[in-house]
Amino acid sequence: MSNTGLNLMGALKTRMHWHQSRQKLLAENVSNADTPRFKPHDLKAPSPAGGGLVLAQTSPLHLGPAGSVNGFDPRDPKRFETTPSGNSVNLEDEMLKVAQNQSDYQLAASLYSKGLGLMKIAIGKGR
Amino acid sequence: MDLLKSIAVAASGLRGQAGRMRVIAENLANADSTPDRAGVDPYRRKIVTFQGRLDRELDAQVVELGRVERDRGAFRTKLDPGHPAADAAGQVRMPNVNSLIESMDMREAQRSYEANLNVISSTRRMLQRTIDILRA
Repeated sequence: MSNTGLNLMGALKTRMHWHQSRQKLLAENVSNADTPRFKPHDLKAPSPAGGGLVLAQTSPLHLGPAGSVNGFDPRDPKRFETTPSGNSVNLEDEMLKVAQNQSDYQLAASLYSKGLGLMKIAIGKGR
Repeated sequence: MDLLKSIAVAASGLRGQAGRMRVIAENLANADSTPDRAGVDPYRRKIVTFQGRLDRELDAQVVELGRVERDRGAFRTKLDPGHPAADAAGQVRMPNVNSLIESMDMREAQRSYEANLNVISSTRRMLQRTIDILRA
């Protein structure tokens, strides 16, 4: 018997975890909007499991691939608002991301409760 | 839980901006504080500084107020020979507070404060939605 239904719930759970971590990073960016020399961070968009290849490192002397740093977004988008103190948080941008993150999270949460509803139907206690 | 942590991080931002507002209010209130005799410095404008701190419990960089520094700029002078603090030439030194700069600073603090509030309410909606799963 396949556990497709449970896979869906697992995927949604991972997604919700990702949004929670992203919300924390965004909160950090907003609260440090006036800290000198602070650079905003963001999470990399989640990639499907097994999609990303990593180099095997069998010795601590091996160099890792340049670019992606443990799950953070390696891209460095053009920032047009860097204050003289070296802070490059753009509040409008962050607000946009917060709102987007919230609605994506709510989408995942609604899908999760729909999945729960499906299971209730399956065990005969729907409605 | 990460959502509660993001609320805590945003709350540290609120605290920082509130402290900044306090210093701005102090500057504005003392915009005309002259000494009562000659040779004494009038009120010197205060400048708030922010610094990031890695909170190990939250595993995030929270913000906190650093030292409140003094503005080293020159004082304004005003001709008022009858003032008790006037020097030999009749000039009175006034505080180096510029109310335009202060009100701009205040708008900026307000904007950052609102952004932090926005993060908190958005995070609370996410939490609420999570709790709603139970009711489904």
